[in-house]
Amino acid sequence: MKIQEQVKDGVTIVRLTGKLISGPELMELKTAFQNLVNQDRHKKVVLDLGGVTWMDSSGLGVIVSGHTTLRRAEGMMKILNATKKIHELFIITKLITVFETFASESEAIASFKEPEKA
Amino acid sequence: MTPVRIGVPSAEEFLEPVQIVVEKVGSIAGVEQDDLTSLSIAVLELVKNGMEHGNDMDPDKEITICLEVLPGSLRVQVGDQGSWTPAGDVGFKPGEGDQLYSDRGRGILIARNLARWVDFDLSPEGKTLATLIWPIP
Repeated sequence: MKIQEQVKDGVTIVRLTGKLISGPELMELKTAFQNLVNQDRHKKVVLDLGGVTWMDSSGLGVIVSGHTTLRRAEGMMKILNATKKIHELFIITKLITVFETFASESEAIASFKEPEKA
Repeated sequence: MTPVRIGVPSAEEFLEPVQIVVEKVGSIAGVEQDDLTSLSIAVLELVKNGMEHGNDMDPDKEITICLEVLPGSLRVQVGDQGSWTPAGDVGFKPGEGDQLYSDRGRGILIARNLARWVDFDLSPEGKTLATLIWPIP
């Protein structure tokens, strides 16, 4: 798995490529989310899963953990480019009710500028 | 086809080799190409459960995976060294409320939703045996 970060319009885009399989690499991702908070960097995060070829409950667990970490720091994570298979996992686990998902990077970034819905 | 049997230590670094073997055998058995990833996800959820709950992530304890082609389906059996079975209702509905935000506990739910049939039983030797059935068109 490869993790790349890019900041656009005050939003951190975390791009993942490869397999999200249990092991040290998943811990790297957990640490990356923690670092965004610890280093007081941008807490508006778009997680781009477009390059993820394989993911199971362990990958979902780390994403949820990152979401919780960011929320506690008054940040937010949104999901970008989830493939059909990954989207299916979000539906099975009901996490689709937790995360906003987008197919367009610009729309994902713009969504952070929208006023909070009542 | 003769069943394919593999055994791996209970350690995370062996998950990816298992994933590759499962997809390869699935492909040979006739599982639809688009479903191979879902098959390997479901099987690895069972393998991870066995490593954790049956073998306490002890690399000296083996997980066995047997893939057998049956008429119209692929049967995968995952055995560990423990004698445990999940509570009867585990994996039939997603978490609610605070559980929804847990960073674990979704493996059997995912396996049961992706596969046609997943069940847990004890082998004649009293060890846990998870069985997954995957349809082959």
